[in-house]
Amino acid sequence: MRRHFSRPAFFEGIRDMTPVLIGIVPFGMVCGIGALAAGVSPVAALAMSAIMFSGAAQIVASQLLAAGAPLMVIILSCLVVGLRFLVYSAAMAPYLRPLDHRWRNLLSFVLTDQAFAGTIQRFRDSDDLPANASYFLGGGLLLWTVWQVATLAGILVGQVIPPSWQLEFVVPLTFIAVLAPLLRDRVALLVAVVAGIAAIVLDDMPMRLSMICAGLIGISAGVVVDTVRGQHE
Amino acid sequence: MSKETTIWLVIVAVGAINYVARLSFIALFARRDIPPLLGRALKHVPAAMLTAIVVPAVVFVAPGVLRIDPGNAKLIAAVAALAVAAWRQNTTLTIVVGMAVLWLAQYALR
Repeated sequence: MRRHFSRPAFFEGIRDMTPVLIGIVPFGMVCGIGALAAGVSPVAALAMSAIMFSGAAQIVASQLLAAGAPLMVIILSCLVVGLRFLVYSAAMAPYLRPLDHRWRNLLSFVLTDQAFAGTIQRFRDSDDLPANASYFLGGGLLLWTVWQVATLAGILVGQVIPPSWQLEFVVPLTFIAVLAPLLRDRVALLVAVVAGIAAIVLDDMPMRLSMICAGLIGISAGVVVDTVRGQHE
Repeated sequence: MSKETTIWLVIVAVGAINYVARLSFIALFARRDIPPLLGRALKHVPAAMLTAIVVPAVVFVAPGVLRIDPGNAKLIAAVAALAVAAWRQNTTLTIVVGMAVLWLAQYALR
């Protein structure tokens, strides 16, 4: 483990993830509040954040539990919401190969939307694997820790941030900050446009399948364009 | 089955499922080579997946209510944030401008 640890990069990862917390804290609080509202005990609400560690899945689980859905329906719905982790895992895989299994197991645990969005570009731009892995670990552990604190805060103090402030909107804003530089590339722009349109058109799909389907359609469009271009060159 | 029993079973099952999903390809491709077609597809993951998350969060003002017009404050804020992020690659600045425009547009559109 230590062979691949870079302390400066670890703290750099923490520093760079800090602005994202403005969106993560209210989201984590909402997850805590939502679980209590569904009739879950505070301990179980905290365990959801610590073990499931996925706001989207936690919200779905709370909503379905409150509606009295059967166990298997709740699990299946959460599974669908978590399908995107397969895609993130595949995208990170080429970069994490040279690490030992303990590093890979640990980084996998903190692989979330935000951790993926915040670190993938660094892995692409730099070959310094110990620094990149430590950067990822720093940002990922910060997100996990703050997620627990935010859930606890939601359980203890309830809705103190007025919903009209819409602080959750910071989450898509952080993704926009990552997306904008990518879209200078024309193929990436096309991939994004296709995925965006697909996400709107498919929004009616059950169990929030639209997100993963739109993502896969966008990726496929990129592969098709790459192939066609490759044949012309 | 009580709600408390149900939620603990959900926590254990979904916790395991999420971890296996997160680890899946990272563990698999540590031992074998990535098929070339998949390798090429993976480079499109950030643009596709992040857009698939962002767009619905911006254009739907309520579940199923699509608003692609200047009356949607989130859409105005997202366009402003995109412009700022393209100009200066700075997450904090993007958040500050995005939220400021969101609040201003909400106030103006009231």
